[in-house]
Amino acid sequence: MANDKNRKAILVTPEDCIGCRGCQVACKSWNQLPGIKTKNNGTYQNPPDLAGAAFNIIRYNEVPSTENPVRWLFVSRRCMHCDDAGCMKICPAPGALYRTAEGAVAFDRDKCIGCKLCVNACPFDVPRYDAENKVTKCHLCFDRIGAAMQPACVKTCPTGALKFGDRAELIGTAKKQGFKTIYGEQDLGGLGTIYAFKDEPKLYGMKENPTIPYSVIFWHTYLKPLSVIGLGGVVAAAAIHYLAIGPHKEKDEEV
Amino acid sequence: MAEMVRKSSSDEILNHWILAGSCILLIITGFAFLFHLEFVGSVFGGFNFMKTVHNWLGVVFILSLFYSMRHYLKDALEYDDDDVQWFKVAGGYLSHKVKVPPMGKYNPGQKLYYLAIVVAGIAIALSGFGIWLLKGNTTVMLLSHLVHNVAFCIFVIAVPVHIYLGTLANPGTFQIMVNGMVPLETAKKKYPKWIKAVGKM
Repeated sequence: MANDKNRKAILVTPEDCIGCRGCQVACKSWNQLPGIKTKNNGTYQNPPDLAGAAFNIIRYNEVPSTENPVRWLFVSRRCMHCDDAGCMKICPAPGALYRTAEGAVAFDRDKCIGCKLCVNACPFDVPRYDAENKVTKCHLCFDRIGAAMQPACVKTCPTGALKFGDRAELIGTAKKQGFKTIYGEQDLGGLGTIYAFKDEPKLYGMKENPTIPYSVIFWHTYLKPLSVIGLGGVVAAAAIHYLAIGPHKEKDEEV
Repeated sequence: MAEMVRKSSSDEILNHWILAGSCILLIITGFAFLFHLEFVGSVFGGFNFMKTVHNWLGVVFILSLFYSMRHYLKDALEYDDDDVQWFKVAGGYLSHKVKVPPMGKYNPGQKLYYLAIVVAGIAIALSGFGIWLLKGNTTVMLLSHLVHNVAFCIFVIAVPVHIYLGTLANPGTFQIMVNGMVPLETAKKKYPKWIKAVGKM
């Protein structure tokens, strides 16, 4: 489906973010997620990472340098809605993780069987499990965008650090504005959460060259077909053997 | 009525059917997970319950596999020159004109098949428990997922061959898994060294 005209995306511009975390609150509000009890661990980043009740967080990246001793980068972290999604690849339950018409990776908790393979196949460590052991994560507010509204986080963002729209358009505009890196333009077939960076992605705490675990790619590319070809092959071979050579007969044993 | 000789005990037959039944159900549900076969899932009332069935069938399978060792493992570990010769003539399966060397209770193809099932069975069970119970460890999960699927490929290739050779390819063999008996005259031809060892020839 990929990067066709209908694909929507969220564009994150960390330099425009003031770290108000309105997006976190709006997300909880729309998705009716409870608060999480956390401890002060010396940062405003709270909760410390994504959780069953936290589909998005602002990462508070401190990157002091001699020129700018108080450089603070606020980076929205959430599901990346990969075009080539490791979670969807590995999921054994049909419909538990699915692609929406807008290109989001959404989930159906009734169909989730709680195996947690998606958690381990995600290149970004995104999927979480709720109290009932069902998958949960950002779903790009598929229910809102399907009704021509913006995702809750984008709707509430006061600065435009989060923008929602046609993926191709968002990328085009960010490039025109002179951003050095559009993170996620090509990775994993193109991400649905893209970032406009002025610096190297590493500085923003982003994974460079994210990939689906190689074992999952190997399994998907070779083992899955091998299982069907192998089964079909031996059944066909048995049929050919039966017709061409035929079964053992008692008489043969006396040769 | 022709004189019969017992090749398989009743506990062996029962255990073999438990092993075979759980194995085939595990393969079917395994394929359903692998390729999202919704019609298979609906037989079990959905993939959630099918997962539970698959997990516990795995327990049945591995226990049954361990129990089968008392029946087959000793034979499966012993090979002689006739076994080497058996491979040279492909067990007589590629031509009915070749002379197949005298066999014991099991031919080396069966013995190696059993060892393959033991190794793949233990691998698929251990990795299955990894996926089932050690969800918090990414390395264990991904390694288990890989091993589980490699072993699965061994099963889906080896098991149909075993079924074919035990039924259509060797008329009369299936009977052994029903009542355990073989006509003595047939056994003398097919398993002469075993019949000699039990003193009936």
